[in-house]
Amino acid sequence: MQKKEHWQSFGQKDGSEAFNQLAKDEFQESLPVVSPDEGLFDAKAPRRDFLKYLGFSTAAAALAASCEMPVRKSIPFLNKPEDIVPGVANYYATTFVQDGDMIPVLAKVRDGRPIKIEGNEKSTITKGVTNARVQASVLSLYDVNRVRNPKEGKGNEPTFEAIDKKIAQALAGNGSKPIVLLTSTISSPTIKAAIDDFTKKFPSTRQVTVDAVSYSGLLQASEAVYGKRAIPGYRFDKAKVIVSIDADFLGTWVSPATFARQYAEGRRVTDANLDMSRHFQFEGTFSMTGANADERYTFKPSQTGAVVLALYQALGGSVSAPALTEQRLKDGIVQAAKELKAAGGNALVVAGSNDKNVQIVVHAINELIGAGGKTIDWTGTLNYRQGIDADMVKLVDDMNAGSIGALFIFGPNPVYNYYQADKFKSGLAKVPLTVAFAQVEDETATLCQYILPVHHYLESWGDAELKPGYVSFLQPTIAPLFKTRAFATSLLKWSGNDKDYENYFKEYWVAKLGGIDAFDLALQAGISEPAQEPAIGTAAFNSGPVSAATSALAQAKAGGQVEVVLYQKVSIGDGALANNPWLQEMPDPVTRITWDNYAILSPALAAKMNIHAGDHYEVEIGKPTVSVKVGDKTYKLAAIIIPGVHPDVIGVALGYGRDPKIGLAGGGIGQNAYPLVGYDGTGFTYAATDASVTAAGDTYKIAQTQLHNVYEGRTSVIKEATVGTFRESPDIFRQMDKELEEEYGDNFRENGTLYKDEDVYDRFGIAWGMSVDLSACIGCGACVVACNVENNVPVVGKIQVAKAHEMHWIRIDRYFSGDMENPDVVFQPMMCQHCDNAPCENVCPVNATNHSTEGLNQMAYNRCIGTRYCANNCPFKVRRFNWYDWLGADSFPDNQKPLVEEGWIDPILNDMNDPLSRMVLNPDVTVRGRGVMEKCSFCVQRLQEGKLNAKKDSRPLRDGEVRTACAQACPTHAIVFGNANDSSSEIFNLRKRENKNRVYYALEELHVLPNVNYLAKVRNTERKVGMEKEA
Amino acid sequence: MSLLKYESTLREPLVDGDKDYHQVSEDICRPIEVKPLKSWYVGFGISVLLLLFGVYSIYRDVTYGIGQWNLNRTIGWGWDITNFVWWVGIGHAGTLISAILLLFRQGWRTGVNRAAEAMTIFAVMCAGQFPIWHMGRVWIAFFVMPYPNTRGPVWVNFNSPLLWDVFAISTYFTVSLLFWYSGLLPDLATLRDRAKTKFRKFFYGLTSFGWSGSTKHWQRFEALALVLAGLSAPLVLSVHTIVSMDFATSVIPGWHTQIFPPYFVAGAIFSGFAMVQTLLIITRKVLRLEDYITIGHIEAMNKVIVMTGSIVGCAYLTELFIAWYSGNPYEYDAFYKYRIAGPYVWAYWTMMTCNVVSPQLFWSAKLRRNIQFTFIMSVVVNIGMWFERFVIIVTSLYRDYLPSSWSTFYRPTIWEVGFFMGTIGLFFTCYFLFAKYFPVIAVAEIKAVLKTSGENFKRGMEGIEKESVDEFVHKHAPSEHGH
Repeated sequence: MQKKEHWQSFGQKDGSEAFNQLAKDEFQESLPVVSPDEGLFDAKAPRRDFLKYLGFSTAAAALAASCEMPVRKSIPFLNKPEDIVPGVANYYATTFVQDGDMIPVLAKVRDGRPIKIEGNEKSTITKGVTNARVQASVLSLYDVNRVRNPKEGKGNEPTFEAIDKKIAQALAGNGSKPIVLLTSTISSPTIKAAIDDFTKKFPSTRQVTVDAVSYSGLLQASEAVYGKRAIPGYRFDKAKVIVSIDADFLGTWVSPATFARQYAEGRRVTDANLDMSRHFQFEGTFSMTGANADERYTFKPSQTGAVVLALYQALGGSVSAPALTEQRLKDGIVQAAKELKAAGGNALVVAGSNDKNVQIVVHAINELIGAGGKTIDWTGTLNYRQGIDADMVKLVDDMNAGSIGALFIFGPNPVYNYYQADKFKSGLAKVPLTVAFAQVEDETATLCQYILPVHHYLESWGDAELKPGYVSFLQPTIAPLFKTRAFATSLLKWSGNDKDYENYFKEYWVAKLGGIDAFDLALQAGISEPAQEPAIGTAAFNSGPVSAATSALAQAKAGGQVEVVLYQKVSIGDGALANNPWLQEMPDPVTRITWDNYAILSPALAAKMNIHAGDHYEVEIGKPTVSVKVGDKTYKLAAIIIPGVHPDVIGVALGYGRDPKIGLAGGGIGQNAYPLVGYDGTGFTYAATDASVTAAGDTYKIAQTQLHNVYEGRTSVIKEATVGTFRESPDIFRQMDKELEEEYGDNFRENGTLYKDEDVYDRFGIAWGMSVDLSACIGCGACVVACNVENNVPVVGKIQVAKAHEMHWIRIDRYFSGDMENPDVVFQPMMCQHCDNAPCENVCPVNATNHSTEGLNQMAYNRCIGTRYCANNCPFKVRRFNWYDWLGADSFPDNQKPLVEEGWIDPILNDMNDPLSRMVLNPDVTVRGRGVMEKCSFCVQRLQEGKLNAKKDSRPLRDGEVRTACAQACPTHAIVFGNANDSSSEIFNLRKRENKNRVYYALEELHVLPNVNYLAKVRNTERKVGMEKEA
Repeated sequence: MSLLKYESTLREPLVDGDKDYHQVSEDICRPIEVKPLKSWYVGFGISVLLLLFGVYSIYRDVTYGIGQWNLNRTIGWGWDITNFVWWVGIGHAGTLISAILLLFRQGWRTGVNRAAEAMTIFAVMCAGQFPIWHMGRVWIAFFVMPYPNTRGPVWVNFNSPLLWDVFAISTYFTVSLLFWYSGLLPDLATLRDRAKTKFRKFFYGLTSFGWSGSTKHWQRFEALALVLAGLSAPLVLSVHTIVSMDFATSVIPGWHTQIFPPYFVAGAIFSGFAMVQTLLIITRKVLRLEDYITIGHIEAMNKVIVMTGSIVGCAYLTELFIAWYSGNPYEYDAFYKYRIAGPYVWAYWTMMTCNVVSPQLFWSAKLRRNIQFTFIMSVVVNIGMWFERFVIIVTSLYRDYLPSSWSTFYRPTIWEVGFFMGTIGLFFTCYFLFAKYFPVIAVAEIKAVLKTSGENFKRGMEGIEKESVDEFVHKHAPSEHGH
């Protein structure tokens, strides 16, 4: 057949040269462009046209003047910066530094604004982990309460130069009185160098390091028996047996995110490999770490010495331990000792106590079991905490004696968290020169003569040495928002150096790394580490101080009626980040309470005060209060009944009761428990062993996100079993599957239903899936905050959380099981399950929620009319309704203000809607208006971005290229996300091969066909927990 | 029709007293033509105040958000949908009386049908408020209307029971309104003809649509009544069936039950008749209509109440039985742990007492015919039926599959109560206006009833009773030549 030829002109037909010439150009005919030389303005306007132009322009001017045009403040770049593409994020490596904790991170910067923090996976220490505090820290950058100007006295706002002059004068006139730099732990080599420079200029300078929650006992014990004042490098991943004596190492102890990663590595199980570490926890209250333990025993703080000694004794230490009366505790210690011994050095004992003697004995125990060099690294010691309590106490005495010449405070907030705050305050008044380097006008800064605002870490240059040789850098991700200056710059200025810290830092590292290129590369990577990881080191143990320590411990005083344990919450910690609404609204892993501190106590103790954990207690927001009396201090706190707390112990969280001035989120929330901290002559004690408690009679409203504490034996929600049971019967979690398999074969999900939906079962291309390993999840809440940040999830405030109006797209359900005295805990992250046969989808009258071809259950916010039927019909109750206009998104301007005034909504909403706070919003995610339903979207904006990138490169999407925010933030890799149709993906491998026997779908019998699966929890215990093999 | 309709002397007359047609018109139209009583003003004033409070409550809800209700992430519906179902249920008695009793040729319906139908319309109006204003974004409520639109290829979801509601309720309202209004035509014409003031002449002239009472009009009137009755009869069953599907088609334990359609319909009729009792016992007293709404009417309705109440009771017990028998642990828990026990135990037992136990007293004829007792019972039944909906909605939602999400104790806020009060205000405002400006009893239909019941009729009967059988047959039997 002959092909028909079409031609447009003879030229084309003949292929003439003239035609070919024309066809080469994009526009075949010349464009009517007037060249600038000819000048548009030179064109002659005919006289008659003049009137037309006049008329038109007058009319246009009148129109423009009379119609109010909306003012849009968007300022375009005059010249586009090389590295900024609108709508495309840049990532900068930096380091989260807060009160000694250091985590290498990447800051996601969109259009010049840092909006999200991810872990820096290049760091071999953290391997990209983050925790809730890191995730939330980006909001502190935009805190409306930050100090915006240097301040002198009250209200006077001079310039830095003016202050520099005055301080220089004051320092010159100081004479030889000591100048004290009161700092929290500083691990920055360059800041330390700057301090050295300053000390050279002013030789009377001394640095006092104080940590809000101190590790002084551990540091001093290490110094005593190993000659190193350091926290050893713990390796929870290497330990087969972990014994923790009141150390909340997964939640708040030293560097919890790193420890959590190590811990999870040592406990990760697959169907083939059920070898996981054993974890014993001894504690008074109920920590998140305790919730993850295989065996958990309780003791009173006054028994700490006895417990440690008993363990030492059981391991063969020559010591006479005071008698413990509780049989269960005694058995536990014996059992722990037995297993520690059997582990052959692959064991680790840690203690949370700040008592030097306790830590000495713990060191001795670790020495006995041979942990040094195996699970305890004395080469790679940790720089996270360096404060020595006695120094601080001495400083306060000196201040009161009037012997201190100047006090520069960078970091600590002793007016809030020193155990004798009044004494510190009176001392502060006696110091001739007081300067606070602060981000917010906190309790201490307001009492200082000068406040020099410092950068947020996202605005800072800097470095942090996590452990010797392992440095992580800080670089600014945004120009300083306010008139702030680095602490070190001030020191350098005052010591006569005209360099600012940025250059000082740069010169230091250029010299150290050997060139500007190496420096740039290191900055880009964010880290500088030894090329080869040094082997886990040992240190010589000096057993000398042990006997003194044991005899001191043996003489411990007995406790009173009840004992108070002062603990830190996973979210708020020591209180420095208390003004972060995301952290305040993150439910505590164990109590599931937001926005408050309270007294946690056991059901037995509560029952003594006639408070019973019945239906009434459960469903009422107002919880009965108790008066906790320690010495002359009385606290009236809500009684929160938590099974598994020692019957004579009350737990009260530190970090609350901040001054209202620090902001609406943290100020005035809860009560300050720091005054209950004691001092035993060498270190602070975070327990009050002689306390009494009585029912106070009234109630106090508590904003709790989970009221019911047990899963009522609903094994299709939670599946758990012991390792032994699972090993014996690998099919234990798949009983129903097995029955169905017999009848319908491997594809029973497809073949076993009458309602076979081709769209669901024969999906090709991408099928998004998520897997959540209940064995790996520790309940830390990093995913919750990461999701909040990524998806613009609004903060609703305490009043609204109490009404169960919280908006979190992902939550971590916590269930107790077993008996009331010693329950087991399981954490279950719960988010939209993206059901393929979703009950929410078919009840929406307007199709606002529907299904994508990739298996996403998606919300079309613009369609939603807000009937809430979808939320009612969701078996997982993961849908969240916008009861109010949380983020000022809808067409009623400021409509939440009157409600704030009337007390319906917490005033925090005003802060969150401040233009400054709103800079944290992710521009890729819609801000939802009032009356709209929302829920987890599997971070669809990330999926789209990943797919587009792949498409641009003409390649299939790679596994791991897109991750949801929760999966990325999870420090234990409990959440795995990917394309379940891709047989090379991790999720496919895990579902079909590696963990096939643990895979289950929550509430599978409803046939909602979730795209999220869970991996059943296995516990390394001999006790009977969870499902048991049928006889 | 020459076929004699025989009413035994033993049978209670449907209209008391020796009334002629004029007397009937006088009795029923009088309240419309005189100044209302002081009590009317008081009642009307209170109703309007309640209505205004409701309007303000809704204003707050729309302007500031539904967060002012104490609904939460677990209990997505509370007072709003409880009230919706309650009002829809109340409406059902009117349709049943006007449609089904008409088709079954129950003469006694004429005394009560007009007021009952009006009640239906007002109740449906009240009911309709809730699904509308409970929406988060009521300003785009029109998205539920399937019409060609410019919003892209988006269309309503025909799978959703909420959409079925839209059709069911709007159809129901339309048919009920037509039925009621067409029935009113002859009576409005009567009022027009009796009118003495210009305004009345104009108003009733306009509203009576030029009714002249011609045979053709009557013929068409009767035909229309039958057609509309035929249309409404299935609606009596379908509307509440569909409302019940709002729950029955879901996956929530306590909602996902197949018994819901019949159970809801029975409950609706039950509460509807109770509401008719409440209204008519007051109306007959205030408007002095005891002769037309007789104790016999009240007793007849009480019989319906005891029957439907027993059906509802059976349904409750069936639910409990199935919750146990099915072996579904979630359903078992929902019923046995969190309904008949648990924090909402009082709601369940209030429902049981009011709906199942107390109506059984109506087995006693003495109590059935006791007006005070009936009035109290009618209120009790409606309290019980309100709680039934509350129990179904709230106590199913507050504890469902995942114990982690189980909710706090749900108490309504002032604005939720305000909304409900507002609909009560709307209902009574409408009813007061209706009672003042429209005949509360169907005049024309009562006159028709007089042909076969009442003193007049019985007097005529006396002569017939005395006739011999032959005479009677000769006179009254259909002749062989037809009639």
